[in-house]
Amino acid sequence: MKNVHTKFLIAIALLLLCTPVHASGDDFNSVVKMIEQFYRVKHQSIPFLAKAGMKVATTAARIKGGEAKRIAEAGSIKLAVFENQAFAGDFTRFRASLNGALNDTWMPLIQTLSAKNVEQNYIYLRNVGDKYNVLVINIAEHDATVVQVTVSGKNLALLLKDPEGTGKSITEEATIIDQE
Amino acid sequence: MKALFRINLILSLLIALPLVVHAQDSRLQLGSLDHLAAKANQTVDVSIDERLMKMAAKLLSDKDTDERDVKKLVEGLKGIYVKSFEFETEGQYSAGDLETIRTQLRGPGWTRLVNVTSKKEGNLEVYLLFNGDMVGGLAVLHTDLKEFTVVNIVGPVDLDKLARLEGQFGVPELGVEKKTKNEQ
Repeated sequence: MKNVHTKFLIAIALLLLCTPVHASGDDFNSVVKMIEQFYRVKHQSIPFLAKAGMKVATTAARIKGGEAKRIAEAGSIKLAVFENQAFAGDFTRFRASLNGALNDTWMPLIQTLSAKNVEQNYIYLRNVGDKYNVLVINIAEHDATVVQVTVSGKNLALLLKDPEGTGKSITEEATIIDQE
Repeated sequence: MKALFRINLILSLLIALPLVVHAQDSRLQLGSLDHLAAKANQTVDVSIDERLMKMAAKLLSDKDTDERDVKKLVEGLKGIYVKSFEFETEGQYSAGDLETIRTQLRGPGWTRLVNVTSKKEGNLEVYLLFNGDMVGGLAVLHTDLKEFTVVNIVGPVDLDKLARLEGQFGVPELGVEKKTKNEQ
């Protein structure tokens, strides 16, 4: 009987070990730190950014269609920007680390890697009550942005319909709003 | 002894259950292609699972015409998965890479519906998974010397729906409808 009991305990322990360990804490900051460690770069706070580039983005958005479409819920934007730094490293290894860190709590939606343009884009989603968090990571040869926003259900549908386009709009919106 | 046998049986069932469920699914295992990203010029990886498909269907409005059309399109779908690799030079993917996908598409229920071979536009294969009379999923394999694309749609879908999904929900523009008509 003791033998059966021990085996049962071992079985339970094995099942518990198989249960995924969920990432805890602030994933946005974890991703920023991960980029800093992987590429040996440092993110900048907004006041230190070169304003010229931001102004170009704002103007372009206005020329395109008046006010840029607002996707994020007011006050929900978290933004980290890396400028004029070298993002040299193995795309696939970075992607594997990122997915490993986020896959338990976030749903990967789209990931594009371009060796030709030296660019990586990642969009992850997670459900928070009746709203959704969207994490957009863009890494180019010398610049990177990490944006986390909260979106409504309707804008989530928009994101699913056009993941690449809406992801770009979210990054654009975050940088424009912070500049204004 | 009897109790031990019962525990072993339960554990075996627990281990075997996900394998049984997986066998009935039309979702292809595409992870074996991930190594191609290291050689590719451009990699696109889209993963819209059942939770997201359901959310999209639930969140789109019936009142707005555009949204209603999209809602109809995604209703019932259980997932859209895309892996696409574009290479700078030829010969970057192997016959073995193709075989990992084709082996799955030779499995029970899968039928090849379209097979277009074109020197100019590469090869296009479209497969449907039948669960009895019902379509349970679709797979598109598009390859040429410098490109390897797999699209896997899980759930009730047909060529018309695929054509309407092209350019949306991460599904690339494959021109399936045009290529199929040209073949006829």
